[in-house]
Amino acid sequence: MLTPEYPSGTVRALLDSSHVSEATRAALQARLEAPAAYVPQFLAPDAYALLEAVAARLFPQPDRPTQPVPLAPAVDQRLAEGRADGWRYDALPPDREAYRLGLGGIQEIAQALFQANFADLNTTGQDAVLKALATGNPPGATWQTLDAGRFFEELLAELTETYYAHPLAQEEIGYVGMADLPAWTKIGLNQKEDREPSLSS
Amino acid sequence: MPDEEVLEEGVLNPIKPEVQDPLLRALLADEPAPAAATPVDTPLEQPQAVEPEADEVDCVVIGLGAGGAPLLARLAMAGLKVVALEAGPWHNPEKDFATDERAQDFLFWNDERLSAGHDPLAMGKNNSGMGVGGSTLHYTAYTPRPLPDDLSLRRDFGRGEDWPVSYQELEPYYEELEQFLGISGPTPYPWGPTRRKGYPLAPLPLNSAAQLMVRGAEKVGIRTSPAANAALSGRYYQEGVGWREACTNRGFCQAGCFNGAKASMDVTFIPLAVKHGADIRPNSFVTEIERDARGYITGVVYTQNGEQKRQRCRHLFLCAGSVETPRLLLLNELALTSGQVGKNLMAHPGLQVFGTFAEEVRPNKGIPGGLISQDTHRPQDADFAGGYLLQSIGVMPVTFAGQVARGRKLWGQPLRDYMRNFNHIAGINILGDCLPHADNFLELAEEKDARGLPKPRLHFTAQENEQRMNAHAEKTMRSIWEAAGATDIWAFQRYAHVIGTARMGLSGDDAVVDANGRAFDVPNLYIADNSVFPSALSVNPALTIMALSLRTADKFLEQQQRRDV
Repeated sequence: MLTPEYPSGTVRALLDSSHVSEATRAALQARLEAPAAYVPQFLAPDAYALLEAVAARLFPQPDRPTQPVPLAPAVDQRLAEGRADGWRYDALPPDREAYRLGLGGIQEIAQALFQANFADLNTTGQDAVLKALATGNPPGATWQTLDAGRFFEELLAELTETYYAHPLAQEEIGYVGMADLPAWTKIGLNQKEDREPSLSS
Repeated sequence: MPDEEVLEEGVLNPIKPEVQDPLLRALLADEPAPAAATPVDTPLEQPQAVEPEADEVDCVVIGLGAGGAPLLARLAMAGLKVVALEAGPWHNPEKDFATDERAQDFLFWNDERLSAGHDPLAMGKNNSGMGVGGSTLHYTAYTPRPLPDDLSLRRDFGRGEDWPVSYQELEPYYEELEQFLGISGPTPYPWGPTRRKGYPLAPLPLNSAAQLMVRGAEKVGIRTSPAANAALSGRYYQEGVGWREACTNRGFCQAGCFNGAKASMDVTFIPLAVKHGADIRPNSFVTEIERDARGYITGVVYTQNGEQKRQRCRHLFLCAGSVETPRLLLLNELALTSGQVGKNLMAHPGLQVFGTFAEEVRPNKGIPGGLISQDTHRPQDADFAGGYLLQSIGVMPVTFAGQVARGRKLWGQPLRDYMRNFNHIAGINILGDCLPHADNFLELAEEKDARGLPKPRLHFTAQENEQRMNAHAEKTMRSIWEAAGATDIWAFQRYAHVIGTARMGLSGDDAVVDANGRAFDVPNLYIADNSVFPSALSVNPALTIMALSLRTADKFLEQQQRRDV
């Protein structure tokens, strides 16, 4: 099956309409209007830059060269505030420590594989580092004690959920569930309301 | 229980020289109450001045989810003076319940739990709730009844446990709940015994995933039916509430329902309880359960908005769910004589199978679990004990994408490409029984949370029975999706609901509470939530939690009456 393409601007247009309840609009608008510049509050500048570089490969956004959907700020903010999501793999240390150790461990993989910093690698090299991490048995002293598979899963899941919570990512996949007013009546196969987008072509 | 020295001044546990309440004194002495017994809802004169918050009430209920809310209403309606302590806030659905997954994260119990074992349980949004209404604020509203033999696993398979309560005893409660909550469902229901009353409302409309499952299941010879859901297919009059509006097919049941169509406790039993005088205290986190020299509970200590308070009570109803209930018992060294608190931890196999369809699915619309089949309740070719049910599932993008990341390990461009198919993806899931196993339990970890209390650690490893059931279910669901025309079919392994950590039984030797929910070793302690389930059941637990809650209240009230006459 071909990869579906949806027109851009759908969610943003709906946010300006009466199809979105007040509480819902407030949540999405805040994400859309978050300032592009972000000063890390928890991670050290180097570690934060590395997180950004990793996020750029886990979620490459060549279609948004100047303003990618920001992913690293949500992680740093959560760690700074000490927020949790209700559980943690017992195999991993507390989140702050896991991120500190894990980001250092990614640098170790880059050094072991290419004798270079992650940021200095080309995208192919960076992907090779992340692939080594994802397979669960990467080189580096960190990974003798930190569960690589679980760390990668947690990192990827957090970035993924951050990405798809963003209105632009929701436009990309043709999701307009935030248009919660009035009731949905066309809910069966191949049925859509006027406020739902069709494929581009 | 921690040493008294560590308690702050003013919340010390006083060892009472004698019991002042004639009713409780009679209970203690296990003899009939005095003939001219004071009605239980009249506060007795106290021999000495006490702080206002130390006034004794008949009952304190901890937790306001499916376990606490029904019995709270029942006790209040019987005229008892009841106080409910809920760890989370009291929400305004219209203002607080946005149609946005991230913005609804506050509905989950977000204090960290540690998940251990070979199949660590995802908690947070998967498994827990906080707020007036508890997990029912974000339950998917599935409300199937168990089938009678769900309660007799040991009898039928020689494994697992039998319930000390029969289906016949629970049946009137199921019927009452279905009528009261306004369950939408098919009449007659295709599986299980004939019912005296049908569902009060017609089933909700089938969404795309449900229609696809009908198509696939027909081809492979599996019967399906519109499911029973605790969301209104039409306006419904709710006692104590007024008219509740019909479901708008927003599909957002795994978060808060903004128009009250979903029968969460905050729009059903809690308003009823309030109408009858129940005192609801949100943001109240209980840390201590106080006892007298004889081991009877005298009250609880809780923190509300940063302030430590104490509430004295004659009876305590612990309804904090299958993690916080055993945690409170372990922290307070309460009701531990059976050795079963925290043990027998079970979780429902909740395997999901997703497929991509040429048709437009738009899986976020409509009640998520629109279609059910219980043909797999006791499969002919099963190589495992128990069985499972099948449900169609609708999904929301953030949760689904997280599952794709964890389950398929897709990242980079392949993840973005796959997610572009969102509007063409539909799922089926199972909910299966689970057997207790010595390796699966809850304990207190050494690691402390922000309150300085030990975090709970949950050990869970799917054993052979669960693994065989999952394999059978995956094959079944893949065949349904293939028959329905799906491509790119994949399975996501998951377990939902924590069950059994303070189980009920016939004897205090191997169970924490009796069939009425009363602790064997603490006579004025009752437990009503999914921690008391002796076996996991092959259906979603909410309706049965509520049924047990009402039954526990009724048994308690019966006993009080006996004491009164």
